[in-house]
Amino acid sequence: MQQPPVQLSVRNFQKSFHGKAGEVRVLDDLSFAINERDFVSIIGPSGCGKTTIFNIIAGLLEPDSGAMHYRGEEIESLRGRVGYMMQKDLLFPWRTVLGNVLLGLETRGVDRAEAEARAREYLKGFGLSGFENAYPKTLSGGMRQRVALIRTLIMDPDILLLDEPFSALDYQTRLYLEGVLKDAVETYHKTVILVTHDIDEAVALSKRVIVLSGRPARVKIVHDIEIGATSPIAARGDARFSGYFHSLCAELDIQTEKTA
Amino acid sequence: MPETASLQKRKTGRKRRRAGFDTAFGRAMLQVVAVVAFFAVWEIGVRAGWISAFLVGSPSGIFSVGYKMILSGELVSDTWYTLFEAILGFIIGTIAGSLLGLALWYSVFVARLVEPFIVAINSVPKIALAPIVVLWFGTGLVSKVALSVSLTAIVALIAAYQAAKDADVDLQSLLISMGADKHQVFFKAVVPSTLPSIIATFRINVGFGLVGAVVGEFISSQRGLGHLIYTASSFYDLNTVWVGLFTLMVMGFVLYYVIDMIERVSLPWKQSSTTHQVQV
Ligand SMILES: Nc1ncnc2c1ncn2[C@@H]1O[C@H](COP(=O)(O)OP(=O)(O)O)[C@@H](O)[C@H]1O
Ligand SMILES: [Mg+2]
Repeated sequence: MQQPPVQLSVRNFQKSFHGKAGEVRVLDDLSFAINERDFVSIIGPSGCGKTTIFNIIAGLLEPDSGAMHYRGEEIESLRGRVGYMMQKDLLFPWRTVLGNVLLGLETRGVDRAEAEARAREYLKGFGLSGFENAYPKTLSGGMRQRVALIRTLIMDPDILLLDEPFSALDYQTRLYLEGVLKDAVETYHKTVILVTHDIDEAVALSKRVIVLSGRPARVKIVHDIEIGATSPIAARGDARFSGYFHSLCAELDIQTEKTA
Repeated sequence: MPETASLQKRKTGRKRRRAGFDTAFGRAMLQVVAVVAFFAVWEIGVRAGWISAFLVGSPSGIFSVGYKMILSGELVSDTWYTLFEAILGFIIGTIAGSLLGLALWYSVFVARLVEPFIVAINSVPKIALAPIVVLWFGTGLVSKVALSVSLTAIVALIAAYQAAKDADVDLQSLLISMGADKHQVFFKAVVPSTLPSIIATFRINVGFGLVGAVVGEFISSQRGLGHLIYTASSFYDLNTVWVGLFTLMVMGFVLYYVIDMIERVSLPWKQSSTTHQVQV
């Protein structure tokens, strides 16, 4: 199989925070590459710097050193071109479902009527028609996260950065949304980087899994997942699933021993 | 769809049997009874000579004075005058204060620079400014409005500034990751999230607007309810004083509900299911 070209490469990222307790080195010479139409999960101990990586890619933070290349071109960040989805759904409480979905298109200055038509189409596709004028607080956690996903996808971002997007949901809803995500990624041909603490989720969804070491974060190992199932539930039934699951568990376990 | 089930459950769970008087009608009846009883005791007390009509007036006297003043048009014109001053002061002060407070979000440097000055200005009892305000702005309408503005602006400014500082950084980060610039972050995230705080200041500021107008009229004026109360009390005309006070009370009452309505209309996303208090 031919290796697809690299879409985003992160080289030698270093980042420290200066807190009250002195300097905290979060990223230390971190490098990895994301291919075109990749689905990469990043797992690692909590507090190791996964969110920090996303914040740098999204242009919310600057690295102390290191470089990013997008399709071969050096870039500062992917601000305005990423779809960043965080653990909290971060829906704007004063905006309706439709208003929330329109947020990104509004900031881009897309024509209102055109944007609205597109938004309604997406809402319909994700089973949310009829909820256009509902306020987020009246929705369940699963629906809210679906709205957040639509808000991310509708901007047609180059790369999706998903930071533990389903971790606050119950297992059933999570399975359902994993399926929704997988389908959406296929439909819209997206590249995804998913941070998760759920090894099970990482194996079921990804093409590759990057395991990070404890702080300061380094890439410990990259696992290729060759399941290629059509849905996350089917993936869990694959014969190789538990093999991947156990070897990733082992990677993380060794780490927890080290940092403990 | 499994998600909608939680909504329905909440609705049915809310039906709760309330005891006896704890209904809208029952409460209104109790309130009316309390008011009537209060005035009855007062009237009886005065007639029986237990309390001095000279010092406290009497409900029947208040009623007849009030009736005469309404007929002559005097009460209505004083009421409108004071109301106009108060509302004008409230609107100018609240808008100016809120805008200034919000504008401070734009520059952390300027905000930090002026913060001690804001605290200093806030710690001056603004009522103490009244004599100077009258000196500067004369004895007419402008000085009352100015006094109301000085009272309301600072409240709005501090509330708006604080709320802008407290606006959810994650929402702002999300917008920035979408490529939003500072103006867009301000108008799409900061301003809307400060609205509840700003509208909450309306309640306080409507009262301050009235305080400014009335105190201004006390100091020097030819019109208004403050003027009415002040001159009547210097003649020991307690019934007229009470007419002025009760009119102010009604005015404050009405304004409170107007604000309530504004709040409900302008913050629809805050409504529903927040009005219920935990039953202890
Ligand atoms: N703005 C900040 N200032 C200081 N320390 C920070 C800041 N953001 C993150 N950190 C610290 O950096 C480390 C990594 O954080 P984060 O990237 O959120 O970890 P993860 O997402 O892997 O759990 C944590 O120890 C955290 O306390
Ligand atoms: Mg994190």
